[in-house]
Amino acid sequence: MNGAQLLIKLLQQQGIKQLFGYPGGAIMPVYDALLDSGIEHLMCRHEQGAGFAALGYARSKQSVGVCLATSGPGATNLITALADAQFDSVPMIAICGQVPMSSIGTDAFQEIDVLGLSLSVTKHSFLVTDANDLNRIVPEAFELAASGKPGPVLIDIPKDVQCQNVSYQPYLKSAPVVKPIEHQSIKQIIELVEQASRPLFYLGGGIAIAQATNFLRELMDATLIPCVSTLKALGIVPCDHSLNLGMLGMHGNPAANNAVQSCDLLIAVGARFDDRVTGKLDSFAPHAKVIHFDIDEAEIGKRRAVDVAILGDLSIHLKQLTTLLISKQIKLDLIEWHSQVKLLKEHHSFIKQTQNNLADIQQNIPSREQKQDIFAPDLLRQLSSKLSSTLDKKHIIATDVGQHQMWVAQHMQFSEPFQLLTSGGLGTMGFGLPAAIGAQLAQPDRAVVLVTGDGSIMMNIQELATIKRAKLPLKILLFDNQRLGMVRQWQQLFFEERYSQVQLEDNPDFVALAAAFGIKGERIVDQEQVPDALERLLNSTDAYLLHVIIDQGENVWPLVPPNQSIDQMMESLS
Amino acid sequence: MTHIIHLHTFNELATLERLLRVTRHRGFQVNSMNVTTSQNQQELEITLSVDSQRPVQLLFNQLGKIHNVHSVQVFEQHPTLIPIKGHQSNMR
Repeated sequence: MNGAQLLIKLLQQQGIKQLFGYPGGAIMPVYDALLDSGIEHLMCRHEQGAGFAALGYARSKQSVGVCLATSGPGATNLITALADAQFDSVPMIAICGQVPMSSIGTDAFQEIDVLGLSLSVTKHSFLVTDANDLNRIVPEAFELAASGKPGPVLIDIPKDVQCQNVSYQPYLKSAPVVKPIEHQSIKQIIELVEQASRPLFYLGGGIAIAQATNFLRELMDATLIPCVSTLKALGIVPCDHSLNLGMLGMHGNPAANNAVQSCDLLIAVGARFDDRVTGKLDSFAPHAKVIHFDIDEAEIGKRRAVDVAILGDLSIHLKQLTTLLISKQIKLDLIEWHSQVKLLKEHHSFIKQTQNNLADIQQNIPSREQKQDIFAPDLLRQLSSKLSSTLDKKHIIATDVGQHQMWVAQHMQFSEPFQLLTSGGLGTMGFGLPAAIGAQLAQPDRAVVLVTGDGSIMMNIQELATIKRAKLPLKILLFDNQRLGMVRQWQQLFFEERYSQVQLEDNPDFVALAAAFGIKGERIVDQEQVPDALERLLNSTDAYLLHVIIDQGENVWPLVPPNQSIDQMMESLS
Repeated sequence: MTHIIHLHTFNELATLERLLRVTRHRGFQVNSMNVTTSQNQQELEITLSVDSQRPVQLLFNQLGKIHNVHSVQVFEQHPTLIPIKGHQSNMR
């Protein structure tokens, strides 16, 4: 057995059935060993595509995603996907070929210091200098990627190490350390909750990652404390729940933002007080004491001082807390707060943002016939409604990054965790298409719809070939405003309408482009075309691209301007 | 403000690079550094003197997350060093 064959054996031991990658000189022994392994491999058309596909697969399967690349440019092309996984806590293993040990440091062909490059974008990284070490490194890498706060781990393997004769040695896995909440902390939490008249849960993506969604829902049922969610937490509490105020933050629901500013106790669960959430930090939740549950000690007090910090596994801690609160029969008097929450929900609906979009466009092009225009938020609500009524609610929506991403977060309905697959922390344009491919492979029986924009899709457009290669029934909804819409919006609002490098009038014919990759599609320009076009998109048994022309003046409303508190939201141009 | 940080790490590839990268990225300047290798070559004892206007807790927490790091201690700069924080990794 050589090192490459041992690597494949160790991947099989980890239960890996699907890889994503792109071969090249320094990783040829691994690709040779792969041929006889029975592990599936999807060759993407760019290593970044392979990285994002592995990420989408990991997120949708709730397991570890694995991608392969060769040395040099193969490895550097993976870096953005690793950074994305690091930011959004996605467990991933990247395996890179490397030039032989004797060539490292000689500026050999396709040699790059991958270990050095990986330091800031991975949870950890290994350079394997002896194939025998694979017996330890591979299981350790998987354990690291999936444990604690999950993240990406890179394994760099020189070609001669891949070819080295080696034998398998079993690795003894360490037992995870489980710590319940300490008695003193429990006492402090109960005191703060009982003293509060306006408590609020601030839910983050860490809840779903910890598989603690049901415990959180039970805790909400037990306490009747309302909640707001980050982008990554959408779906943890169903959007139609009476105590769910929706997404908070820069493009959040004003109801959610106002609730945060009013609350007197903020219970952050698996969230990290990100700047897109808090707006002006020193005016965020100004009246609130803070309880913070998280697995990562470094997040505690990083941006906001806390009154009580609970470190550890959310699935254990939320369950423990719920059981305790129920057994102690703690009843909170939240009648007034519930009335206020109800009023906030009634007064702040995203539906009226569509009217603001319309007003913007009328202001830009007053002579234009308006009734025919397609409004992205309207279309997304129709899509969401059709998905909920015609398919089971287990569909997955993947997005790229930009205006369309925020419209999806605002106007689509999510009722389960991981239903929204999006690049939250890093905000990577080009994420959507390959990530959706990974999600569709992970969940072949679920409808996967990619909502993207004309700027983003071009960043990894080559992956249309991968859809065809894997025969995936992926649905693509492409909003085209011939602009980098979010940048254009900011130039309009904050740079005196000085538009710099945001015009995309030279976009290709996307329907023809899709056809060139063997993917059916159509273009729509008129509101009346939307219902039938959505039917054709969703009912297609093959991949399908729906190219939707929207006005370049559509904006994302509401918006918290830079360095403003989150209740100071702009809701239109005027 | 100056802080002294003692780290006990496993002696693996890129350990020092990881520590220095995190220290720089989190906004701390290294004034001095001393590294000694254990007799069996398996471990490193590292002492860093760092300066920053940022709270040292930020750096302490981030250093404690590095996989190679076994323990971190932070001392305030003082004629006799006063330990203010200690961290022991449970990673392995």
